Amino acid sequence: MKTRRGYSDLIPAVFFLLPGLVLFLLFFFGPMVYSLRISFFNWKIVHPDQSVFIGLRNYLRALSDPIFQRAVMNTSAYTVITVTVKLVLGLAVALLLNQTIPGRTFFRVAYYLPVITSWVIVSLLFEYMFNGQAGLINYFLKNILHLIPKNVLWFADPILTLVPIVLLDIWKGVGWAAIIFLAGMQSIPVELHEAARVDGANSGAQLRFVTLPLLRPTLVYLVVVLVIGGLNAYIPFQLMTNGGDPLDLTHSVLTLMYEATFSRIDFGYGAAISYLLTIFVFFISVIELRLMRRRVT
Amino acid sequence: MKSNRFILTFVSVLTLLILVLTACATPTTPPTTQAPAVPTNTQPPAPVIPTNTQPPPPTAVPTKMPTAAPVTIRYWHTHSDAEAAQLDKVIAAFEATNPGITIEPTRYAYSDFKTALLTAISSGDVPDVVRMDIVWVPEFANQGALVQLDGTLPDFETIISDVFPGPLATNKWNGHYYGLPLDTNTQVLLWNKSRFEAASIANPPATMDEFVQDACKLTDAANNQYGYAEGGTYFWAPAPIFYTMGGKVTDEGITTATGYINGPESVAVFTLLKDLNDRGCLSPNLLGGGIATDAGHAEGIYGMIIDGPWMVDIYKNNYPDFQVNFAPIPTGPNGTTSSVVGGEDVVILEGSKNQEAAMKWAAYLLSPDAQKMMAAVGQMPVLTTLIGDSSLPPYFAVFQEQLKTAQARVPHPRWSDMDNAINNAYQRILRGDQTVQVALDQAATEINALITGP
Repeated sequence: MKTRRGYSDLIPAVFFLLPGLVLFLLFFFGPMVYSLRISFFNWKIVHPDQSVFIGLRNYLRALSDPIFQRAVMNTSAYTVITVTVKLVLGLAVALLLNQTIPGRTFFRVAYYLPVITSWVIVSLLFEYMFNGQAGLINYFLKNILHLIPKNVLWFADPILTLVPIVLLDIWKGVGWAAIIFLAGMQSIPVELHEAARVDGANSGAQLRFVTLPLLRPTLVYLVVVLVIGGLNAYIPFQLMTNGGDPLDLTHSVLTLMYEATFSRIDFGYGAAISYLLTIFVFFISVIELRLMRRRVT
Repeated sequence: MKSNRFILTFVSVLTLLILVLTACATPTTPPTTQAPAVPTNTQPPAPVIPTNTQPPPPTAVPTKMPTAAPVTIRYWHTHSDAEAAQLDKVIAAFEATNPGITIEPTRYAYSDFKTALLTAISSGDVPDVVRMDIVWVPEFANQGALVQLDGTLPDFETIISDVFPGPLATNKWNGHYYGLPLDTNTQVLLWNKSRFEAASIANPPATMDEFVQDACKLTDAANNQYGYAEGGTYFWAPAPIFYTMGGKVTDEGITTATGYINGPESVAVFTLLKDLNDRGCLSPNLLGGGIATDAGHAEGIYGMIIDGPWMVDIYKNNYPDFQVNFAPIPTGPNGTTSSVVGGEDVVILEGSKNQEAAMKWAAYLLSPDAQKMMAAVGQMPVLTTLIGDSSLPPYFAVFQEQLKTAQARVPHPRWSDMDNAINNAYQRILRGDQTVQVALDQAATEINALITGP
C-alpha cells in the first residue's frame, strides 16, 4: 500500500481538477468576491466608477431594518419547523419503506414524486388551494368539518401566510429526507440487527440501540443540508406572498434581497443582505457540525 | 503502475484541451458572425439605392458614406404575442422607408425585463432602444442610463406637441425628457350589466355618492357577492378614485408629501374606501389571496371593478360570452372625473452606438402610421390627432375621454418605494391598525424621507 505520494502523482489530479476549478473560480468565486465589494458601496449599476464607498453602512442598515429583522424571523421559523418535521416524518417513512411490505417500490416512488415536481407549479397550486374566498382548504374546514365559522383569508394574515408555505415545503421535502435515511439504513450491516436479536432486543430496542446510532452521520448530513436549504428559501415565499405581502411582514431573507437588488436597484444593500445570510449560514453549519459530530462511536 | 499514470495524465490533458478549445470557440464566434456582417452590410447600399428609384442620391452617396453606413438597432420590448406580430409589420414599414437601418427586436417577459436591462447596462452591452413601463423612466434616468431627448432628438418640440400631456409627463425627470410616450392606457369603471339589472339599477354610477350606494346595493355577502373589488392595495388599484376625489401624493415640484398624501382630499378617499370595506361592500380579496378581479367580475361575484383596455382581450379569450361594459370613473365632489395614466415609453439607452438611427426609429414609433398599426392590437395611441379616428377600435373612446383628465403617478426614481408606503398605509387602514389620518401621516413621513434621501 502506498502511503506517500510524489508530486508526479498530483499532476493528473490537478489536470482533472483544473476545468472544474476554473469554472468555479470564474462563475462562483469571482462573482462572490465582486458582490462582497459591492456590499461596501452605494453601488451605481450604470456607472460603477461613481459608486460611493460607505464601509459597513449597508450592513448596519440591514441589521437595524425592521423588515430585515422580520425576514430573518420568518426564515428561521420556517427552517426550524420544516427541518424538524421533515426529519421526523422522513425517518418514519424510511422505517416503513425499509420493511418488506407489498408494493414497496410503488410507495418509494410515490413519496419521492413531490420532490421532483416543479416548485413554481406546486406553489401556485397551494396558492389556489388556500385561496381565501374560493379555496379547497376553506371549503374543507368550513363546509365539511365545520371547524371555522367563516372563510379564512390565509394570505391576508402575515402569520397564516406561513402555513401553506411551510406545508408545501414539508410535503415536497419528506420524500427526499426519507430516501437519504433509507440509504443510510441499508448501509447498516444485517449482522448487527441479527446480533441484537440474539441478545433479545425487540424492534424498538433495535431502533434505539442499532439503527439510530448508526444513522448519526446520515442525520448530520441531512440537518446541515436541510438547514442550508431552509435558510435559502425563495420560490414559495416569492410566489405566495408576492415578495412580502402584506405589509412587508412575510419576506424571507432572499425575497428581501431580490427586492432590494432588482426592484429598487439598491445593489449594495442587496449584496450586504446576501453576505449577512452567508455569514449566518456558515456559523449555523459550523455549530451544527460541532454539536452533532461529538462522540461519533 | 507507470503506464497507468501515463494514461491518466494523457486523458486529463486531453480533457483540459477539449475544454479550453471549446471555451475558446465561443468567444471567437461573435467576431466571425460580425466579420461577415460588415462586408455584407457595406455591399448592399450600392445596389439598394439605385433600386429605390432615387437617381439624385448616387452623387450624394460618396459624401454621406460615413452617416449612411448601415446600422442595426436593437429594440427590446415586452409585447404580447399579437402585439409582437404586429410590431414586425411596423418594423418592415420603417425599414422600407429607411434603407440601411435594420431593427432587431427582442422580446422579454415583463417580470424578467428589469433584471435583463440591469444586466445589459452593467455589462455595457446595451440595446439601442427600449420600450419600458412609464414608471421606470425616472428610475433609469436617475441612474444615468437614458439619453436626454430634449435638445438631441430632431423635431422634439413638434413631436411632443401632438401627444397627450399625461403620458408625456412620465418621461420628465429633473426638468428634462428621457423618453417619448409610446402607448398609453388608463383605468375606467367596468360594470356587470346583469348584476346591475338584478339589483334594479339602470345605469352605471355617475357620481362617487352613487358609486358608494350602488356598491352596497350590489353586495350580498352571504352569497359571496360584492359591489366593488380592487386587485390589491398597491397604489394603481385605488388610484382612479384617489385622483378623481382630488387626492395628491406630493406637490407639483415633488418637494414634500405633507399636506398632500395626508391632506383632506386624500384622507377623504381612504375614508370612503375604509367605509365601503367596513360595510362589506368592498371585497376582502384586496387584502391578499382572494378571487382575482377579472375572473370575479365576469363570474358576477364583483359587480364593479376598475381596470384597463386590455380587459377586452382577456375576456375575449377566457370569457367569450361575457359582455364587457365600460363607463367613466364616477365624478368626485367637485364634479370632475380623473384616473391614472399607465402605459409604456420609448427610451434610448446611453451607450447606444447608433443614437442617430435609434432616434429615427423612436420618432417613427410615434408617427400616426405606426400608432394606428399598433392600435389594431389594443395599444392605445398617444397622439391627440388620432382622437376619434375611425380606424381605432370603438371601445377606445371611453378610455381616450378618460385620458384627457387622467393623472400620472409621481415621476420620481423612488416611486416604487413611495407606492409601497401608500400600499402599507392602505393595508393598516383596512385592518383597523391605524386611523386613516395616522396611517397617511406616516406615509407622508416615509415619502418625505424618500424625496430628501440619498
